[in-house]
Amino acid sequence: MQESRGLSPLQLDALREVGNIGSGNAAVALSTMVDKKVLLSVPRASLVPLVKVSDLVGGAETPVVGVYLHISGDASGSMLLLLADSSAAELAHLMVADPEEELTTVEQSALQETGSILAGSYLNALSQMTGILLRPSVPGFAMDMAGAIIDFILVEISQSEDYVLVIETEFDISQHKIRGHLILFPDLGSLDIILGRLGVSG
Amino acid sequence: MAPTVLIVDDALFMRMMIRDILSKDGFEVVGEAENGVEAVERFKEVKPDLVTMDIVMPEMDGIEAVKQIMKFDPNARILMCSAMGQQPLVVEALEAGAKDFIIKPFQPSKVIEAVEKALKD
Repeated sequence: MQESRGLSPLQLDALREVGNIGSGNAAVALSTMVDKKVLLSVPRASLVPLVKVSDLVGGAETPVVGVYLHISGDASGSMLLLLADSSAAELAHLMVADPEEELTTVEQSALQETGSILAGSYLNALSQMTGILLRPSVPGFAMDMAGAIIDFILVEISQSEDYVLVIETEFDISQHKIRGHLILFPDLGSLDIILGRLGVSG
Repeated sequence: MAPTVLIVDDALFMRMMIRDILSKDGFEVVGEAENGVEAVERFKEVKPDLVTMDIVMPEMDGIEAVKQIMKFDPNARILMCSAMGQQPLVVEALEAGAKDFIIKPFQPSKVIEAVEKALKD
């Protein structure tokens, strides 16, 4: 089954452009929220075996804060903001002046809202690019090992698949040592719609 | 008398931020709600001059809440505040009766500008 779904270099390039435009818009949003410069990596778009997804974000054991949401509408999928613990704490402190070391309720809410706004901006750009409506769900929030959070999301989207399509960008607010990942997992069933709208259907 | 505002957003952080922006500029925040169902109930109780309304919320989303509030009071002034700036949703919200739509994240000055404009309409 995997072979029949092989994506051409042109299609992968188009999906990278999705990552580029989506995360570009999300980076502008993040930059506005914290009033700092946000740098982005070149996005990756690839079909990744389920067991390898957490390698993309520094390994399954990395303690992280994750904000995740589901996408419905004309195409479906999931979106995930992952921040290493130390980055999450730094980012929370930038938004909420709070001397406590543990994440407070307000700081958790700020991180959750950050995930929601970044996903919203990403999907706004993607919607504008493709003309399809993408509705995000209410965001979930988790503090756990990266592997546990990714498994939780993949269980819902992968079902019988061994591979998942990952469009991933790393962002960086270097003066505050904040790094994170923004990942879009389009459902493989929605891929034809997205590729069609991008003008690169198979 | 200061104009009264009801803030609707599921994120505690965002409610605090909007409350802060509006209070500093002389508005009176008379209530908060964290989902659409609560928003409709609060609206009936406090009858604010203006509502700021998020879209993606549990229980009932903001667009449905706009519809229900407008049914109760066709003169209600509602300002959408959402990260979801996709054209079809903006149109849906405005058709439901919202006065304006601001996309998160926003600068405090944009919020004040939009609130003042919605109150003048």
